[in-house]
Amino acid sequence: MNPFDEEPSGEDKQLESQLRDALRAVEPGDAFTEALLARLASERLTGRGRRYSGWWLPASLAAAVLVAVGTVQHLKAAHEREMGLEARREVIEALRVTNQKLDLAYQAVRTQSSAVSEGVPGV
Amino acid sequence: MFRERIASAIVLVGWLASAPVLAGSAPDPRLVLPEFSALSQKASETVVITLDPSLLSMAARFLDGGDPKDAATLEVIKGLKGIYVRSYTFDQDAAYSQADLDAVRNQLAAPGWSRLVQTRSKKTHADVDIYLMVVDKAAIGLALIASEPREFTIVNIIGSIDLDKLRKLQGQFGVPKLDLDAAPSAPAVKTK
Repeated sequence: MNPFDEEPSGEDKQLESQLRDALRAVEPGDAFTEALLARLASERLTGRGRRYSGWWLPASLAAAVLVAVGTVQHLKAAHEREMGLEARREVIEALRVTNQKLDLAYQAVRTQSSAVSEGVPGV
Repeated sequence: MFRERIASAIVLVGWLASAPVLAGSAPDPRLVLPEFSALSQKASETVVITLDPSLLSMAARFLDGGDPKDAATLEVIKGLKGIYVRSYTFDQDAAYSQADLDAVRNQLAAPGWSRLVQTRSKKTHADVDIYLMVVDKAAIGLALIASEPREFTIVNIIGSIDLDKLRKLQGQFGVPKLDLDAAPSAPAVKTK
């Protein structure tokens, strides 16, 4: 005979009733819900995710600004250097051309002077 | 009374009218160099250099004072306010006419300019004219026009140029060094 088929005794019925009372579903109530939501909200504000984005975003922006400023400065310096070297090259070229033509005049003057002193006409 | 006022007004108007003329009468060593755009298309080699004061000072910053050649160049450009060069070389004779240079020559007829050297070579057909603008015994500008059958060059240097220092650069830019002191009657070119 199966022991579960037996009719429960009065003591068993009382125990079962007490257990049902103790384990029945209970609605939490408005106060509990509000408290829970408030706590969740405060944790979200001071929680790990918030702290992470709190320093990372400004740091990223600062790093980006630094990189941009550095790049601009580098490009500016490179451009100035390029212009300076070009100006230097042009100065040397201008003086070279000037010297070459002055030399032409000096040579002509010297030849003319020599010719005059030697009495050679038509130089 | 009325006549005096009229006379004063006429004098004032005359003075105001002459003021810009007087202000503009200061000699300007800067020449207006033509574009020579038609000639530059025909030229086999073209040198166009325009160095204003800012570019000259920039170039000076890139010249090494410790290097003898750069130091000499620095000495030459120290008192300069501008260097302008136009040089055109052609593959054949008569690619340009003297009329092309007249626009520049005419400017050198203005007061203030005086011709320092004029050379005409029948042998090489190379003509060189060197002009100086001197104010208060100091050269404030130099103009050089050199024309050869296949080449012409115009140089305009603004500022206190010392040709003696420029002469010392000879041999440093590929220009052969001349024993100029040996020339018995070479013109005095030191201007300062």
